[in-house]
Amino acid sequence: MALLKREEWQGFVRDVDWSYRYVDDEAVFPEWHSGTGKVPRAAWQAWEESYKVSYPEYVATQREKEAAAYAVKAALQRSSAFESLNEGWKSATKMHFGGIALSEYAAVLAELKMARFGLNGGWRNMAVFGQLDELRHATITTFFGHEFIAKDPQYDWTQKAFQTNDWVAISLRNLFDAMMSSANVVDLALQLPLTFETGFTNLQFVGLAADALASGDVNFANMISSIQTDEARHSQQGGPTLEILVEHDPARAQWVVDKTFWASARAFAALTGPSMDYYTPLEHRKQSYREFMEEWIIDQFVHTIEGYGLKKPWYWDEFMRGLDTWHHGLHMGLWYWRPTLWWRPMAAVSKDERAWLAQKYPTWEQVYGDKWDVIIDNVNAGNMEATLPETLPWLCSTCQLPACIPTQSRNGTWRVRDWQLSYDGRIYHFCTNACRQIFWKDRDSVNHETLVDRFLAGQIQPMDVGGILGYMGLTPDVMGDDPDYPAWTKDYAGRPAEGLATAARP
Amino acid sequence: MTENLGAEDRTPELVPLNAVFATDFVQILVPVTTADTMREVAAAVAHHVEGKRVRALPYDKVVIYHGERLPADMTVAAAGIRPLDHIAVEYDVPEES
Repeated sequence: MALLKREEWQGFVRDVDWSYRYVDDEAVFPEWHSGTGKVPRAAWQAWEESYKVSYPEYVATQREKEAAAYAVKAALQRSSAFESLNEGWKSATKMHFGGIALSEYAAVLAELKMARFGLNGGWRNMAVFGQLDELRHATITTFFGHEFIAKDPQYDWTQKAFQTNDWVAISLRNLFDAMMSSANVVDLALQLPLTFETGFTNLQFVGLAADALASGDVNFANMISSIQTDEARHSQQGGPTLEILVEHDPARAQWVVDKTFWASARAFAALTGPSMDYYTPLEHRKQSYREFMEEWIIDQFVHTIEGYGLKKPWYWDEFMRGLDTWHHGLHMGLWYWRPTLWWRPMAAVSKDERAWLAQKYPTWEQVYGDKWDVIIDNVNAGNMEATLPETLPWLCSTCQLPACIPTQSRNGTWRVRDWQLSYDGRIYHFCTNACRQIFWKDRDSVNHETLVDRFLAGQIQPMDVGGILGYMGLTPDVMGDDPDYPAWTKDYAGRPAEGLATAARP
Repeated sequence: MTENLGAEDRTPELVPLNAVFATDFVQILVPVTTADTMREVAAAVAHHVEGKRVRALPYDKVVIYHGERLPADMTVAAAGIRPLDHIAVEYDVPEES
């Protein structure tokens, strides 16, 4: 018997829908999971992915990818490549492993939800491949990070971070729960595959791969490049979903894309921004974070959404201004609260590094240079106590990141503003106007408590720095510290320094 | 009973604040009490920042609440500052400097 040609069988294996005899459609695709909303149920019959794949093709391709990634790893395991890596770069990888490994597992559950509740058979089929992809990403990331535990206990946070109450982990769980866990599948397809994967993972997985190679970390570059090759396929669940939603409910489509782009941008400013502009050694930086954002995210995102008939988000000016401030403030916050991290944040503000920052970000010296100068002078004066925190940074009630975004006044000065909201008997604070707006519109579904909320509610005991670190799961062998103070302070040694905190008497 | 007492007669109560000091880069959590004066509040905020991230200046400090500069001797209770409120602390730099 002659085999059917691919195009003859593809249609009916990828789109398996049937008529129910014992239950109605609402029982199979309940609104709270399937989320069709104003879109007529029949409209989803038009859902079609542009690039189709069969299971045998999928398995064959994935097998090759896995074999290649693990072969490179096995070869490098026998070399001394890891030992020669810069501490700053290692921090970028620790941050990635801890922040991403189990986020990938959350994405498995999200894809499974679309595989079950997606409103078209082709979509559900694509989501099955998507969940297999995410399972591979979770395992490969966990496994690659695990290898280094014997060399450095901070790598243990590859598996641990996401399950702790570390504030970075809380922020990421808050992001991904809203994006993946609590969303119906229509919103989910716009949030995860369309906005997050089509756009932002490029930044971490393509942009950072370039920095990894330049830094000599072939293993890491190999791992994230292997992961990225899957994204293009399963991220196409977003396009057909958006197309149908825009036709029937454009306001909902605009809102879901807008808020997810914002939330993703905030998270990547914390995750990728410091890695690119500070942790990657100066000589290995390919582009600034801002340049990466402009090239990989902004042009593509605007082109994509306008292609679907959506507009630029309402916060666009606020977002663009933030490209010069968000990640610099977050870097300073990560560094100052370094005992709360599972990596060793390199301050990276030597004279050469500052010249690079000032060239890439013309306002950097004015906004951040003065603070780093005081920190540098304290380090050079041996007053380390003044460089360590005694209280918590205020965490935004939406993105759960430190509220550290300055804006320029008409008189030229820069100040961190407070965006607040009184709601349901209490006051909430936000880092930005857009975070405030998103909280207000989603106020019934935003329910994670920030670390500050938990502290003030008495959930963290004792109520001091030690209690906070214990609550977050930080132990002395893991707690972050700058790996090389002289690297960025020696340029300034011996200069006169006034206005420093008085060192505690011995 | 205690609700009938004037603010100045009650046992001091904890008032956790969202505060930002001058040109600092971040808002921070600063606990004060209802009995603290604005001078003490400014010092409590400055403790975490002044000379640590913002170079100390030889000027008095002033608490700004809802856009208003509050007198140094006014207490938290008298100012009506509530838990979780936002305050800014600035150097009171003379105009000509």
